[in-house]
Amino acid sequence: MTILMIQSHYQEPYSMTAPLFGDAIASGLMKIVREMELTGEDFATARGLITTTHLDQIGFQRFSTDVTAFLDRGGRWIYHGHILRPILAELGTYQPIPNPKRVDFVQTRLSEHPIFAGIDQKMLETNHGVAGFYGRGHNPPPEGAVVINALGPTQIPIDWVWARPQGGEFLSHAGNEFWGCGDDPEIKKQLASRAVAWLAGELN
Amino acid sequence: MSILAIHPGAYYHIETLEAPRYAHHFDVLVRPEDLPSVDLAEHAVVFIPCRTPADRLAPHAVQLRAYLDQGGTIVATGETNWDVFLPGITFTPQVTNWWWWLTPGADLGVRIASPDHSLFRHLGQDDLTWHLHGWFDPPEGADVLAVNGEGKPILYVDQVTTPGRMIITSLDPCFHHGSHFMPATTRFLDGFLPWMRQELDGARTK
Repeated sequence: MTILMIQSHYQEPYSMTAPLFGDAIASGLMKIVREMELTGEDFATARGLITTTHLDQIGFQRFSTDVTAFLDRGGRWIYHGHILRPILAELGTYQPIPNPKRVDFVQTRLSEHPIFAGIDQKMLETNHGVAGFYGRGHNPPPEGAVVINALGPTQIPIDWVWARPQGGEFLSHAGNEFWGCGDDPEIKKQLASRAVAWLAGELN
Repeated sequence: MSILAIHPGAYYHIETLEAPRYAHHFDVLVRPEDLPSVDLAEHAVVFIPCRTPADRLAPHAVQLRAYLDQGGTIVATGETNWDVFLPGITFTPQVTNWWWWLTPGADLGVRIASPDHSLFRHLGQDDLTWHLHGWFDPPEGADVLAVNGEGKPILYVDQVTTPGRMIITSLDPCFHHGSHFMPATTRFLDGFLPWMRQELDGARTK
């Protein structure tokens, strides 16, 4: 059983996030599949799933049965980006922060999660001193989801994890891949390796 | 006539092409994979948004070329591999300086090269200025509309490679506007899309 990373953008060779996952790819734990070449078999043999901010959300609807079955089996899914075509009935569409100001990008850890545990969320708040890259809104959490990280004074749920009653877990980050945020390369590596471990069921 | 937009389906495409702010500028939205079922000649403009995955248009390069050969207009914005699906494209990528504006008084260097062009009744220099991903070497005879700090083209009109017209830019407004990020990209589309409707949608011929 592998971790399936879906490559939605066109780029040869693939390099947007792969360097952080070099070991997982080399060992065969992670498999990268171009989105247009996906088959149901890719989901049937996966225990973890990563979708990136470039996901073709319209085309991905053709796999709604496959991802539902994947979660039913206990699969874990890290979803990046703004949900505008919910593939599960419980998911809602992305809500941007209207006219955000700097204070709206202040990040707060609301609950611990093994991927983020011990990492100062402030380290992900800015890139080159500029806030707003991590996220600028939220995907609405389904009932029962646990908010991990929040934005601004009204605690917009930028990161949450949902233990789906029918099985599986869905972790939403409403922005670009979270292991690409901040300026600290060690934190990026740590987030990426923990993401792999969590998706593999080795970090709980 | 009408404007057809390619719809690759990422959130920033959905936001740009479908949300009320700009939806009225696009008459037909077509998935790249559905192009064979469409007669492009019925449309004055084919709009290809930023970050359209080039390998999803590559199978349709012949169809796009036939559309250009019968006089069609293709508009393609940035961060795609235009050369995979369009003729006559020579592009040099550059490392993007995302942080130039943090230096007080800094100038990215973008300049309007053809100030009398009708597009610039809708857009000013600041509306073209957010960051750069690279430049083109357009064919001899192309109309260069905007350049980077080294005078290299970043936005041009090619009416020489084919009997049709290609309007090509390395600027990537759809991605950032669709991400609710970078106000200049929204200003760009606020000007560019009405210009596309007024000037390219059947109102004028080559």
